Amino acid sequence: MGGKKTWLIHAVLVFFSLLTLLPFVFTVNNVFRTNAEFYHAFFSVPNAFKQTLSIAGGALTGDDTPIEMADEEGLIRSLDKKQALRLSLTNATRGPRLAWKVIRPYMLNTLVVVSLTVIGVILLGSATAYILARYRFAGHRALFLFIISTMMFPGVLTLVPSFLLVKSLGLLNTYWAMVLPYIAAGQVFAIFVFKSYFDGLPEDLFESARIDGAGHLDIYWQIVLPLSKPILSVVAIMNILGTWNNFLWPFITNTEGKHHVVSSGLFVLSTTAHASNFSTLYAAYAISSIPLLVLFIYATKPFIRGVTSGAFKA
Amino acid sequence: MPISRKYLPLIAFLLLSVWLLWPPAEETTNAGASTKHPEQAQYVIKFAAGWAYLPDTHPFGIGKPLQGLKNVIRDFEARFPDTRIEVLTVPGVREYLVTQLGSGEAPDILNVNVENVWTDVQKGWYVPLDPFLEQANPFVVEQGDATKPGYKQWWDMFRYQAISRGKAAPDGLNYCLTFDMVETGIYYNKTLFAKLGLAVPETWEEFIAVMEKIQAHRRDDGTETVPLLVNIGAFNDWTTDLFFDQLYYDLLPGIDLVQDPTREPYLDGYLDWDELAFLHQKGFFSARDPRYREVWQKMRELKRYTNKNLMTDDLIREFVTQRGAMIWTASPMSYRLSGDKSLGFDWGVFYMPSFTRTTSPYASGQAMCVIGGAATQLEVSNSAIADTDPSLPMRERMAQSQRLKRVIEFLQFICLPENNAQIVNEYPALLPNIIGVETLPILQPFAEILDRRYTTTKWIFTFDLRFSEIQQRMLELYLTDGIDLDGFLHWQEQNLDAAVANMLKRKVPDMQRLEERWQALAPVRATMQDLPMEEPQL
Amino acid sequence: MSVRLQSPLSCYAIVLPSLVLLTTFVYLPVVWAFASSLYEFEIGADSHFVGLAHYGEYLGQDPTAFPSLANMLVLTLIAAIMRMSFPLIIARLIYALPTERWRYIYRIVFLVPIVVPGVAVQLIWADMIYSDFGLLNELLRGVGLSHWTRGWLADPQTALASIALIGFPFVGGFEVLIYYAGFSSIPESVNEASALDGCTGLQKFFRIDIPMVLSQLKLILILTLIGGIQGFENIFILTRGGPGFETTVPGLWMYFNAFSFQRMGYACAIGVLLFAIIFGLTLLNMKYFKSSEDLQGVR
Repeated sequence: MGGKKTWLIHAVLVFFSLLTLLPFVFTVNNVFRTNAEFYHAFFSVPNAFKQTLSIAGGALTGDDTPIEMADEEGLIRSLDKKQALRLSLTNATRGPRLAWKVIRPYMLNTLVVVSLTVIGVILLGSATAYILARYRFAGHRALFLFIISTMMFPGVLTLVPSFLLVKSLGLLNTYWAMVLPYIAAGQVFAIFVFKSYFDGLPEDLFESARIDGAGHLDIYWQIVLPLSKPILSVVAIMNILGTWNNFLWPFITNTEGKHHVVSSGLFVLSTTAHASNFSTLYAAYAISSIPLLVLFIYATKPFIRGVTSGAFKA
Repeated sequence: MPISRKYLPLIAFLLLSVWLLWPPAEETTNAGASTKHPEQAQYVIKFAAGWAYLPDTHPFGIGKPLQGLKNVIRDFEARFPDTRIEVLTVPGVREYLVTQLGSGEAPDILNVNVENVWTDVQKGWYVPLDPFLEQANPFVVEQGDATKPGYKQWWDMFRYQAISRGKAAPDGLNYCLTFDMVETGIYYNKTLFAKLGLAVPETWEEFIAVMEKIQAHRRDDGTETVPLLVNIGAFNDWTTDLFFDQLYYDLLPGIDLVQDPTREPYLDGYLDWDELAFLHQKGFFSARDPRYREVWQKMRELKRYTNKNLMTDDLIREFVTQRGAMIWTASPMSYRLSGDKSLGFDWGVFYMPSFTRTTSPYASGQAMCVIGGAATQLEVSNSAIADTDPSLPMRERMAQSQRLKRVIEFLQFICLPENNAQIVNEYPALLPNIIGVETLPILQPFAEILDRRYTTTKWIFTFDLRFSEIQQRMLELYLTDGIDLDGFLHWQEQNLDAAVANMLKRKVPDMQRLEERWQALAPVRATMQDLPMEEPQL
Repeated sequence: MSVRLQSPLSCYAIVLPSLVLLTTFVYLPVVWAFASSLYEFEIGADSHFVGLAHYGEYLGQDPTAFPSLANMLVLTLIAAIMRMSFPLIIARLIYALPTERWRYIYRIVFLVPIVVPGVAVQLIWADMIYSDFGLLNELLRGVGLSHWTRGWLADPQTALASIALIGFPFVGGFEVLIYYAGFSSIPESVNEASALDGCTGLQKFFRIDIPMVLSQLKLILILTLIGGIQGFENIFILTRGGPGFETTVPGLWMYFNAFSFQRMGYACAIGVLLFAIIFGLTLLNMKYFKSSEDLQGVR
C-alpha cells in the first residue's frame, strides 16, 4: 500500500471526523461561554479566554494600568493585574464549578446503579444464554422467542404499569427501583449476544467437564464465565450506553429526589436552563461524559475482540 | 507494554474520582433550602417551584444566585418548627404528572399550567383552593390592620383579579394560585427603526406598513432583515385569542350567554367552554362563520412578515444579532436584553396594534386585549391530603387534613407582600400579582398592558390537549401553504366537534338554560351582520 | 453442532432468575398494555371494555394512520441505508490504514460524539443548520440561490427529508466499531487469495469485504428497524410531528394519545400493532438467519 493512498485515506477520515465531532466541539466550546456570548454566535472563542490571555500578555509586558472588569455579580470593579487574572480565571471556570456542584451527588448514584446493573446483566445474561446455547429441552425455542420478543415492545406503553408495579413492590426511592427493571430489560440483549457467542464454541470444552462430573454451577464458574471474557466489555458498553440516557424513569421512581442519576440531574439542569447558565449546562454534559470517554479508551480493543469473536451474528 | 504502565492512567482516574465523589462529612446531598434534618419535621412539604425562583440558580446567567425563596422558606420554618419545605425541580412532561398524581406521589405543591390541570380535576388529583381563598389570610389578620387586603378574604390580595379568577376550571372551582404575571409585548430594534425612519405603529395598517419597509430594507452586506420574529406557539395561543377578540367583540351582547356572578365583574363578556360549545353547535367557529375565517386569514397575512421556521423556539439570537427587527415574546426578555452588555442597539416594547375597519369590516376598533396571565401557577396536589382516608369525598378530606392546613399556610405566607416581594422582585422578569408589591421599573410597560381589558376567551386553554395539539400542527401546515383555508377549516371543525364531544362527555352542562338565553338574545342578534347560518335541520 | 439433551428441570432452574425478572418487570407490564388495548381507559378514571374497537378505529378512521406508517417506513429505510453505508466505508478506510496506532485513534474519535446528549444535537440541527439564518440557508444565499431558502423543518415539502438527513454524515461510532470488528476478522488467507486473483479496490470491497461483514450488517439492520419503528423522541423535539402530520410517526401518535389525549387504551392498541410489525419482521429474519448460518458453515 503506497504512502499516497494512506494520505488520501487520512484526508477522508479527517474530513468526516471533523463533521462528526462538530456537536462535541460545540458542547465543549460552550462550557466556557456566557449566555450573552451564546446568543451572539454559535461558535466563538470564549471571552473569558481572550480576557485571560490579554491580561496575562499585559502582565508579561509590564503594563500595570488597572483593569475594569465585571465580577460575578455584574458589578464593574477596577482591579490590578493579579486580581484581574484571578477573576478572569474564575469567570472562565464558573460553568464547570457550578455544574460539578449540581451533578456530583448524582455521579455517585450513577456509579452504584450502573455497576449493579452491569453485574446483574452479565451474570444472568451469560447463565441463561449458556443454557439456551448448549442444551436442547422441551420449550427451548419458545423460551428463546419469549425472551427475545421483549426487545420489540414500545417502552412508552409499559411506563405506567411498570411504575405501578415498582410502587406496589415498595421499591420507590431505592436503587432497586432502577436496577431491577434495568437488569430485566438489559439482560435480553446480553442473552442474544452471549448465546450467539456460545453457539460457536466447540462442544468438547463442555463435554470433558461433564465427564469429570461437573455440575451446571461448576461449568458456569469454571468454563462459561472465563470464556465470556472477550464479550464482557461488549455487553457492558452496550448496557451502560443503554441506561445512560434514560432520565424519565429515575425521575418517576425517585419521588424524594435522593437517588437521582446523572441523566435525571442533567434533565433538571436543562429544564431550568432559562434559570441558569448555558455554560453550566454544557459543563455538566461535558463532565458527565468523562467516565464514558475513559471507558471507551480502555474498552474499544476488548470490544473489537468481543465482536470479532463471533458474538455478533444476526 | 507492561500492564502496570498501561493501566496507570486508569487507576489514577479511578482514585481521583473516588476522592472527588466521596461525600464530605455532614454535607446534605439535597440542594434544599433547609438545614434541619427530616426526622425532626412532622411535615415535609415538597414544593415544585418552577424555573423562575429556584434557589441558587442564576436566571439567564445574569447576576447573583437567587436567595429570595430560600429566605422566605427559612422564615416559615422558623415560624413552624415542625415543618420543612423541600424545593424540587420536576420535569414538566405529562408522563411525570400522570404517574405521580395517579399514584399520590406528586409534590404537595406543583407548578403546572392550568391546561394540564383542567383535564384531570374530576379525578381528585388537585385540591380546589376556593374555600381558602374566600377566607381571611391568617398572616394578614395577625398584623392587626383591618384595612389591609387579605384581612377579610385571601382573594383580595391579588392585583389582577380578572386573570387570577379566570384560571377557574370548567367545573367552576379554582385549582390554581396565580402567583405572578407575565405579559407579551413586541420588542423592537429602536436603532433600526430610527435608521429607517419608522415610528411605533398605532394601527394594524401602520404595523403592516412598517413590516413592509423592514422587509424591503437591505443591510450593507445585502442581507434581508426579518420584520417579526415569532414562533408557532405564539400563533396558536396569542394570535388566535387576540384576533378572535378583535373580530367578535361587537357580537358579545348577542352571544355572551352566561354571566357568572362571581367572575363577571372581572371577566366582562368572557366566553366559557360551555358557551363556546353551544355556539359551535349553532354554527359559529366553522367554515360558515365569516369572522372565524377572517381570524385565520389575518394570521396568514401576518406570517408573510415572520421567520420561515415557525418551530424554532429560541429566536432571541436573531434579534440580538439584528437579523430580526422585532420579536414577539414575554416580559423576561427585558431582563435578558438588559443583561447583554454587547448588544449594540437600543430597544423598546410596544403591544400589538389593533385592527381598523380597513383591516376588516368586523373589527371592533377596541385596543388589543390582554392575553397574558399567570406565569407561576401553583396547584395543591392530592399528596397534601394524603393523611386522610382516600374513600372520603374531597370536601371532607380537605376539612380533615392537617397536612393540607400547613400547605395552605405556606401558600398564604408567600403571598404576604413583604415575603412576595423578596421572591418575585428579586430580579425583573415576572410581574407581582400581590397588592402592595411594586412592579419593577423595567417591567412597567407590561403593567400598562395588563391594565387593558381581558381576552374574550382562551381557545387552547379551554378545550383538551388534543384540541390544541391538532390546531397547532394544522395551523402550521396552513401557514406554510401546505393546506388551503377551506382544508384547514375542515380540520378545525372536526377538531372542535371532537373537543366539544369530549367536554360534554366529562361534564353535563345546562344546555337548556343556554338555549333559553340564546332565544332571549335573538332580537339583539337580529341587528348584527354576517352571523353564521344555523345548520340546516334534517 | 452437537448439544446434549438434558432434563429440562435443571435447565429451568438456571434460567429461573432471568425469567422471574423478565416476567415481573417486562411481561407483566406488557400484558397489562395488551389488555388495556381492549379497554377505553384513562389513567385515574373508570374504564370499560370495547373489544377490538381501537384497532378498527386506528386502521379504519384515524387520518394519521397510513400517512404516519408511510413516514415511518421512509425514515426507517433511509436510516437503515445510511447506517449500513457511511459507517461501513469509514470502517473499511480505518481498517486499510497501515498502523494500529492511527486505527485506534480514529476508532476513538468517531466514538466520542456518542456522549453528546440529544439536547445539544437538537440545538445544532434545529437552530444552527435548519433555521432561517442557519448554515444551510446561508450557504444557499452565499452561492446565489436565495430563492431556495426556506424553513426546512417547517416547510411541508422538506420537513420529512430534513428529519431524515439529521445526523449527517451518519458516521455513528458504534456502527463503525461493529463493522471494523467484522473486517478485522477476515482471515489473512482470504485477502491473499483475492490478491492472487487480481481482485482489488472496489471489486474487492463488493466481492470479498461486504460478504464477510454480512452478519454485522444484519445486526445493524435489525437494531435500526426496531429503533425506527419504536423511536419518536427526535421528531417530538424537532417538529412534534408537524407541520400537519407531515412528520408524524405511529410511535409519536401513540405517545400523544397515551399521555396528552388521555386515551391510554387507544395508545396501547397502536403499540400492539407496532409490536406485531417488528415481530413479523424478526420472524422473517430468523428464517433467513438460519440459511445464512448454513451458508457460513459450508464456506
